[in-house]
Amino acid sequence: MPTLTFPLSRIEGHAQVVIEVQGGKVISAHFQAMEFRGFRYFVQGIPAEQMPVIVPRICGVCSTAHHVAAVKALEDVFEVTPPPLALKIRELLLLGQIVQNQATSLFIFTMPDRLGIASIFSLADEDVGEEGALLATRVLRVRKAGTDLITTAGGQFIHPVKAVVGGVTSGVAPEAAAAMRDEVEAVLPIACELFDYYWEQSLALRERIGTWGDDAPACYIAAVTDSRPNYTGGNIRVMDAGGVVRDVFPARDFRDFLEYEETDYSYAGQTSYGGEVLRANSLARINMARHMGTPRADEYLARFRMAFGQPTHALLLYDLARGIELVYALERAIEILADPLDGEDTDVGYTLRDGEAYGLVEAPRGPLIHHYLIEDGLVAKAEFIIPTVHNVRAIERALRVAAERYVTAEKVDMELEHAVGRVVRAFDPCIACATH
Amino acid sequence: MDKFAVLQLSGCAGCEVSLLNADAWVDRYKLVYMPLVISAYDVPEVDVLLVSGGVRNDEDIYNLRRAVRHAGQVVAVGTCAISGGVASLGDRDAVRELFIAEEGRRHVPRLLPRCHPIDAFVEVDRYLPGCPPTPELFMAVLFDLPDFQPSRIVCQECGRKKLKDMRPKHLLGFQQGEVLPDVCLINQGYLCIGSSTRGGCRAPCPRAGHPCVGCRGPSDTLIEKGSSAWFESIGRVFATLTDVPPEEVEAGLRSPQLALFLFQFSDYANTPSVGRAGRPPRPKEKVL
Repeated sequence: MPTLTFPLSRIEGHAQVVIEVQGGKVISAHFQAMEFRGFRYFVQGIPAEQMPVIVPRICGVCSTAHHVAAVKALEDVFEVTPPPLALKIRELLLLGQIVQNQATSLFIFTMPDRLGIASIFSLADEDVGEEGALLATRVLRVRKAGTDLITTAGGQFIHPVKAVVGGVTSGVAPEAAAAMRDEVEAVLPIACELFDYYWEQSLALRERIGTWGDDAPACYIAAVTDSRPNYTGGNIRVMDAGGVVRDVFPARDFRDFLEYEETDYSYAGQTSYGGEVLRANSLARINMARHMGTPRADEYLARFRMAFGQPTHALLLYDLARGIELVYALERAIEILADPLDGEDTDVGYTLRDGEAYGLVEAPRGPLIHHYLIEDGLVAKAEFIIPTVHNVRAIERALRVAAERYVTAEKVDMELEHAVGRVVRAFDPCIACATH
Repeated sequence: MDKFAVLQLSGCAGCEVSLLNADAWVDRYKLVYMPLVISAYDVPEVDVLLVSGGVRNDEDIYNLRRAVRHAGQVVAVGTCAISGGVASLGDRDAVRELFIAEEGRRHVPRLLPRCHPIDAFVEVDRYLPGCPPTPELFMAVLFDLPDFQPSRIVCQECGRKKLKDMRPKHLLGFQQGEVLPDVCLINQGYLCIGSSTRGGCRAPCPRAGHPCVGCRGPSDTLIEKGSSAWFESIGRVFATLTDVPPEEVEAGLRSPQLALFLFQFSDYANTPSVGRAGRPPRPKEKVL
């Protein structure tokens, strides 16, 4: 019985795909997360107030989401509500993360699959024409607008520090906000051009391989509303494959709706919804969106709907959905930066309290929940409910669909190796988060 | 063009994300291996190998040893590669046993008893501390930057004013209180350790109103000494600027979020409190 092992690159962290084949039949397709540090264990005994500094280290890609989720969990148990200015700055912080992440996923992780190259950083060795030659520099510029937004709103761009229990440490000075706004305005047309190019190349890829990937129905999960998505997290919504929102619930009720199980072949577990396959991340949010609420993003959404409908299930549309969000996040950031952000009222006081703390944000990969049990001011127990984990069953299902396409009794078509990469990257999994 | 590679062990990819922000290397250095952004499965011969992340499992050891064979220079990048980083919080009696739950998994790399710095296994030529190091620091390790002059300590890069007549009696929690602009965070009662932390980061955290947690590790004055020298140095600063009882400062310094970074160079120095003697301290000349 041959076992095909595919190491993975152009994703965050260490993972591999193992596909077992027998007599031309695919027996299993596993997605294995290969690293583990043990945050859920080693934060036990840590003063709860220190969590917003420690948990961003779960992941350098999604650190902003963990930072804000920790702060929100503590606000939940201390029963404080941050002032409106603080909420606005946090929204900006999370938009920065969306820009940074979606630009990275689209243009650094998955663009090479469309162009048939190993990396956008090895373009000097490839024949990619004029458009390609300037690619890396332009891509990094768009990405950097995202990290600069995180710095502006979060103080530090990888492990931000500015969100604190009760608000934020400081506002954004008018000069800093104006400079940031100029930068985002300059980057928006570049991001749109890159996305147009990406869209074209995606259509070409579809022609070449003859499929958009696994399009079996699934349920979708996200913590954003259906217009002007705010990634700071409200309630979690689950939509079924027909487009009906079946459940809306707060973070603290997640166990009533989601099942979680561990496997012995991976350091990451997997979630399901009433036994059904769940999907989180960009396509979930776009499938739930009525509109985005900003002009250019709405143009892209209309084009997307016209081509694919709502809801739509084909796998590689995850990547196009990410582009719509990139454009939205840039446009929304421009709006926020035009408002005054330097008010005095940045935070409110609080008193330490024990209890069950739940913090929710919509991270780039989907709803992220931090749950702490706090006793005597210390973390007695911690759970991190990670968006990538919601997608693990969907990843494995899509891998099986791809494997069945390329495995026959006679041979394994080596296009499978590329297909495996495309499938996994469409979900943009984060292994550091998934295993934590 | 010189070639470089980035090997990521068990870590968070924050160092890699920071490197991607230092976009000026794109035209001047050839990146040949970095699984985060390139599909390549073996480290080829390179002039510089940057290693991020700690050694947490058996596959990390194998990948590290295999990669350094082809490297001209090995640079340990970030707190995890230098000291084990945040995962070292798992090396406490109180939680060690919990990790046994992970032993039932098959076909995944086996966890080691603790997270190790990379120089426990291979020779390291240079150290670039920071969680993560800033893009500018990455550029400085890859190139000689004539304009880049790191300050000795974070305080010199922070710009907040130290006041003589604002003496807090107790420490505030990291999360508490309204932060005044332009005034030293120590004067405001925050346990900021920028006075002993090596400069070069341009103080983004204290500038934004959050105390320095020391992620760049000790300054050159302290880096070859044990953690007790660190404690004393910070204690003196608090005695000069505040009326906070020394026991309170000491207890704060031992809290996890500071201990995490504070000890990052003390493990090889002569420190009975950490107690892993047997290796000389990392010489300050090797640390950027």
